[in-house]
Amino acid sequence: MDLLKVDSLCKKYDGFTLDNVSFSVEPGTIMGFIGRNGAGKTTTMKAMLNLIGRDGGSVTFEGMDYYAHETECKQDIGFIMGEFNCYTRSKLSKITDVTKRFYRNWDDEAYRKYLKRFGLDENKRVRELSAGMRVKYALALALSHNARLLVLDEPTSGLDPVSRDDLLDVLRGVIEDESRSVLFSTHIISDLEKCADNITYIINGRIYASCDIESFKARYLLVSGDLEALSKAKPHLIGHKENAFGFTGLIKAEDAEKVADCRFAPADLESIMIYVEQEA
Amino acid sequence: MKNLLYKEFKLCMQPLVVIFYVAVFMLLIPNYMYLVPFFFTGNALFNSMQVSIANSDALFTSMLPVSKHSIVKSKFMFIVCVQLIMLLLCIPVMFLNHALISAGNKAGIDACPALFLGAFLVYSVFNSTFMPIFYKTGYKTDKAFLISTIAVFAFIFVFEGIFIAAAAAQNSVPFFAWLENNVDCWPSNASLLTIQLVCALVGAAIYALATYAAYRRSCKYFDKVDV
Repeated sequence: MDLLKVDSLCKKYDGFTLDNVSFSVEPGTIMGFIGRNGAGKTTTMKAMLNLIGRDGGSVTFEGMDYYAHETECKQDIGFIMGEFNCYTRSKLSKITDVTKRFYRNWDDEAYRKYLKRFGLDENKRVRELSAGMRVKYALALALSHNARLLVLDEPTSGLDPVSRDDLLDVLRGVIEDESRSVLFSTHIISDLEKCADNITYIINGRIYASCDIESFKARYLLVSGDLEALSKAKPHLIGHKENAFGFTGLIKAEDAEKVADCRFAPADLESIMIYVEQEA
Repeated sequence: MKNLLYKEFKLCMQPLVVIFYVAVFMLLIPNYMYLVPFFFTGNALFNSMQVSIANSDALFTSMLPVSKHSIVKSKFMFIVCVQLIMLLLCIPVMFLNHALISAGNKAGIDACPALFLGAFLVYSVFNSTFMPIFYKTGYKTDKAFLISTIAVFAFIFVFEGIFIAAAAAQNSVPFFAWLENNVDCWPSNASLLTIQLVCALVGAAIYALATYAAYRRSCKYFDKVDV
């Protein structure tokens, strides 16, 4: 059974529509949620968790209708919206003291462990923390109540490479017991390639793809050649860029045999995103 | 529910709330509109709401295992607590007023148990205006405070005006004479105290109903607000 199932989620704003967004997250997996800035990642996450109203669709968590059992479901969900920016003049200890009262599965030992691992001092105030440390504090809170699903919106954007790598290790550790899952949005694609099992790709409020990362990458090939080859290949290309030596572009793997005099290479997520967005 | 209230007092309450409790001593000013001190509670709550917005309190609360209505509920529970504490603080100061000022109050109702009727109604007006208007957007405190201040002062002037008029025209208007002799005075016997306590209880009932109605309306508005 899927841990989380989002079905036909809709939200209309002036100039932007979240259009029938559907995807699911299986237990024991990390789902990367990717898309350009403004594609609808945060809107999807917020609508999914009822932080903003929705115009249609349903969300099922652990088999329960999320909207009908919101309080119950939230006990098992850890949600992070980037860095922690609440009560900036309060000490971490004070905020934690309030937070932990709301969770029946709060694990003080785990919380202390994450404080130590992330190098957080509980006696500091939020405003005294760097952007990266604020993300880490939010993570420590989210990881300390034994959540079955972690929903993280851009958790790595304020972190240095070492901290990002550490965070990805933590996320891998979270799903080790096969019962917990992570859904995280990012536009740092290299993070996804290091740890995600699946991706959901959103373009202009619509889901472009939602599948496992390897099969998604296998759908495409990077193609390059000279300008003469480009004129023949152009109708089959998803997107391309010209340079002094010819061109590089992206092609669907199934169309590769239709193109002659070109070189092919496996596509990485970042290249796929760049060329697909060019087409969009 | 107690966790939400704990959050309010620990993370959201501002020192100004405590400082404005000093306004209770305005009940010791001779010939003064004794409902004015209750306006200052609203002032303190306005400040607390502004700080809550700056601290992204709604976002923090919405990430906790509570419903969206609980964000509104926790603020209502907080303001009710702050207002009831103010009313409790009034009781000893009222006795002090009685000991120090024996001439009564020429500027409105006396500092007697019946004053609680007016105080509850001031809070009812504040809760019914400030909170729903604020929750229409979840961030526009200024407009909500301006409208609630106008409404509260309009009520204070009408209410106190009735007692000023009662003192002036008690000989010609029987109702004013009844007000002056039974409500606008320090209770000297058990039957007078009963009348004044009934006034206070009526005020409490109106306050409970008005605050609950304001809560329901605020929830309805806040459902449409994006956190």
